[in-house]
Amino acid sequence: AVMNLTKGKYPARINRQTSTFNSAADPRKMRRIIAEDPEWSLAVVPLLANLCLQNIVKNFKEKPIFDELLPGHKAFVLEKLSTSLSLSVTANLISDEAYWKRCCESRWGLSDVSEYGHSWKRMLFERHLENIIELFIPDVTDPKSVLDVVPQCRNYVRRLKISQLLPPIREPPKFEEDDSSDSASDMGHEGPSMDHFDFSILLDKLTNLEELQLVYGVKGCGMNFEWNLFEFTFRDCESLAKALKSCKSLKVLRIQQSKVDDDKCRVLVSSLLDHPSLLELDLSHNLIGDRGARAIGKLLGRSHLKRLAIYNNQIRGPGAQALSHALSKNPSLVALNLRLNRLADEGGQAVAQALLKNQNLVSLHLGANEMTEPTATAMANALVHNSTLRNLSLACNRLGVDGGKVLEEGMSHNSSLVECDIRLTDMSLENEYCIGQILRTNQSRACRRQTQDTGATQ
Amino acid sequence: MSPSTGDHRENTTITTASPADMSSGVPQLVRMAKLQADGTELVTNILVAADFRESKRRAEMEEARRLRIEKLENEAKSSLEKFEEITQKWTVAKAKQIPQDLRDALISQQILCGQLLEDKNKVIIELQQELKASDDRYVKDLKKHTEEVDLMIERLQEQIISLKKSYREELDLVESTFDEERRTLLADNRMKWEQQRQRQSDRELELLLQRMQQVEEHELQLQRLRLDNTKECNTIKAKLEMDVQILEQQLQKMKATCQLNQEKLEYNFQVLKKRDEENIITKSQQKRKITRMQDILNNLKTKCSNQEKQSREENQSLTDDYKRIMQQYKDMQRKMRHFAAVDAKRLEDVWLMNEAEAKALVRQALEIDRLIHEQQLGLAWTPPPLTVMEQSGPVQPRNRIQPSARQAAAQALVRREAAGEERELEEQTDGNTVEVPGGPESTGGRMDQKTVKRLLELLCDEMGFLIESKLLKLLLPLEKDERSLIKLDSIFSHSSVSNQGETAEQKDSDLIHPNDVLRALRAFTALYCKPRDISSRQLSGIPELEGRDDSEDGACWESLATVVPEPKLKVWSMLEAALEKYQHIEVT
Repeated sequence: AVMNLTKGKYPARINRQTSTFNSAADPRKMRRIIAEDPEWSLAVVPLLANLCLQNIVKNFKEKPIFDELLPGHKAFVLEKLSTSLSLSVTANLISDEAYWKRCCESRWGLSDVSEYGHSWKRMLFERHLENIIELFIPDVTDPKSVLDVVPQCRNYVRRLKISQLLPPIREPPKFEEDDSSDSASDMGHEGPSMDHFDFSILLDKLTNLEELQLVYGVKGCGMNFEWNLFEFTFRDCESLAKALKSCKSLKVLRIQQSKVDDDKCRVLVSSLLDHPSLLELDLSHNLIGDRGARAIGKLLGRSHLKRLAIYNNQIRGPGAQALSHALSKNPSLVALNLRLNRLADEGGQAVAQALLKNQNLVSLHLGANEMTEPTATAMANALVHNSTLRNLSLACNRLGVDGGKVLEEGMSHNSSLVECDIRLTDMSLENEYCIGQILRTNQSRACRRQTQDTGATQ
Repeated sequence: MSPSTGDHRENTTITTASPADMSSGVPQLVRMAKLQADGTELVTNILVAADFRESKRRAEMEEARRLRIEKLENEAKSSLEKFEEITQKWTVAKAKQIPQDLRDALISQQILCGQLLEDKNKVIIELQQELKASDDRYVKDLKKHTEEVDLMIERLQEQIISLKKSYREELDLVESTFDEERRTLLADNRMKWEQQRQRQSDRELELLLQRMQQVEEHELQLQRLRLDNTKECNTIKAKLEMDVQILEQQLQKMKATCQLNQEKLEYNFQVLKKRDEENIITKSQQKRKITRMQDILNNLKTKCSNQEKQSREENQSLTDDYKRIMQQYKDMQRKMRHFAAVDAKRLEDVWLMNEAEAKALVRQALEIDRLIHEQQLGLAWTPPPLTVMEQSGPVQPRNRIQPSARQAAAQALVRREAAGEERELEEQTDGNTVEVPGGPESTGGRMDQKTVKRLLELLCDEMGFLIESKLLKLLLPLEKDERSLIKLDSIFSHSSVSNQGETAEQKDSDLIHPNDVLRALRAFTALYCKPRDISSRQLSGIPELEGRDDSEDGACWESLATVVPEPKLKVWSMLEAALEKYQHIEVT
């Protein structure tokens, strides 16, 4: 009987249920049951407390009674509570992870909670909000639909990984009238209609947000591909900059594959100057050139950034020089990734020069940057003097045989570098092997030091 | 799989493997690290290759773009030249008049235009081909990327598998070594445990034997002790029973006395109760009395205050009366003095008048007597002594004029001063005494000068409070004797010691202690208060009748009356008789 009750197959009122299931109400029936059923006992009759709890569960939406319950009763209610209940009811009332686990699993099936700090509740709210934003269509979806969720998830959302932002739907007649190329160019110029979701209305309300990852583009467009699906308009940029400025708790910002060019980069950077908590910035897979790089260099001087990734951009020599200048004075940056840019020797030498002064950079990636022998020479010189750098990648640069020799020479004086990627650099196998040997000795040394340290702490 | 996580895992293997056995752990470690590094390299190789290709592609594309732009520019230049050529030819063609020529020109122009278009088309076709090629390439790249991604996934999986395998092996190894160690440890411990247990059981057996022995001994001892104790116990029991009996007797006695005492106490209690009641009654009486007394006291107080007030008023009125009477008295005195003076004056006047009359009569009598003597008798007449005649005015009684104390003191002092050199002589002649001038009246008569001086000095010192401070200041420059003289003067004037007699009286105070001088002086002044009054009146110089001695008045008048002596009268009567006879004769 209890099972039937909880499954809710009988949506009738509880008194009727009790009358149907509690046979004690009808003495004649009771007698007969006692006579016929030797298994029958009073224990089968559900407790009044349980009945009440069941009722609470059933009417939780209208009347959420939870905090007043005893711990045991709370567990019972949590176990029975439906996962489809409105979040506005449950969000700030229930903190039990088991309930939220059920909710998550009912929505998305199997998922990895370790990514969300082992908090199912956080996972639910983050993914919920992400879904809403990713499916937000400007001018069609009401911004209220996003803002309505904010009061519930404000306390639990720490990270937002927005993998797509939909553009507004274009008017069909226009699409039909012009041919594709013209319409694309037209749409590109039509600023207002192409704006994406405005983050400035949201970010200042999420007081616990620490990580934000954005892609101004459409995911899985398939054969419906059009260039204007991947537009990051200037107005978008401005609203985002405003939003970032208002979000004081942000630690990690990633804007990838969004066609961020120099001007937009400058706007974003100007909003991030003197940001109180930003630690990591990732602007990779964009169109940032030298001017953008210069702006980022300025940001390095006026922030506490620890990690900076601007790989797969269009930064050339002058931009690299500006970055290097900032790097030589920066006291906080730990990791810098400049992969797949076009620094060339001009930039490479500048970075190597900066390494002579910098005392905190640990990881540097300069892969695929069209650098050649002069960079290798400068880098070798820097490696002799620098003792903090541990990971260095120079892969896919045509350093040549001579460059390899010089680098090997430089490496022989270095004892801190643990990893040095020199694949596809056209240097002789002999040099590669020697450098590998040096790295291995450095590794084992570092390893020993670490074990000693751990031993000492233990 | 990032290198950093690889490092971390390596570390974990170290920490787990190192306690097992260091010797085999290190190469194991190196092997694992190598395995990881190789695997990572294998996976990242694809990435690096892709990067390389991408960068190469970009470089190529840039180069291609550069070439394309160059080519397009060249093409534009050449086409522009051609176009200019055509436009030039247009002007030439316009100048042509002959239709034939014009047609030729037009045809040539057409050809040229066709060439230009052809060139452009060629370029367009080329570009389209390039576009197509790059499209193909993009598709190829996409395919390649998917392949690479697949490959990467494959390699990742491979590496995961291999790493898993090796880790499992490692784990097995670690476990086996751990097991082995555990087993050996267990065996060791078990052996040790067995040994210990054996030893323990041996010891316990030994202890048990010892214990049994001890138990036997103790039992014997116990038996003995028990016997002793029973004996002792019996004796003690008997003794205690005796004691109990005695104590019970005592208890009975005590009970009896207790009963007695209780009764006594009961009685006493009753008595005390009675007394208490009585006390309460008396207390209440007393209280009532107190209140009554209080009332009386209050009444008396009010009465007293009224009385006081009344008496004060009375006093006030009496004082006023007294003042009034005093005023009247003073007036009366003044009047009296006035009348005294008037009376004295009248007396004198009457006296003088009568005296003049009497004297005239006396002189007439005497003149007659002389005439009688000379003419009738023929005898020499000698006037009788006429002392009475010389006097005039009322007879003044010779009062005692006492020299003032001041004068006496001054004399005493001055005398001493003056007699400074003659002292020896004086001492020889007069002894220690000096006759105070002032004569017979001085009661002291002779006074010891030293004593006087001492007394005076004493007075100076003791009565200093009477002297005004101003005076003292003025006296400072003077000599000692003079100073003391003035001091004494002022003291006397204040203390009303004004005559020498008093000073003399004071001589008695020779023997009085200096501290008592004041008291003596006060008594003295009280004694001489009256005489002072009189003397002050005398001093005022007003003639007085009351105190006048009229005992000599009669004698005075008598002497006037008897200025003609008795025998002379007889003479006169004889003469008269003779004369009468003569006359008779004559007549006859």
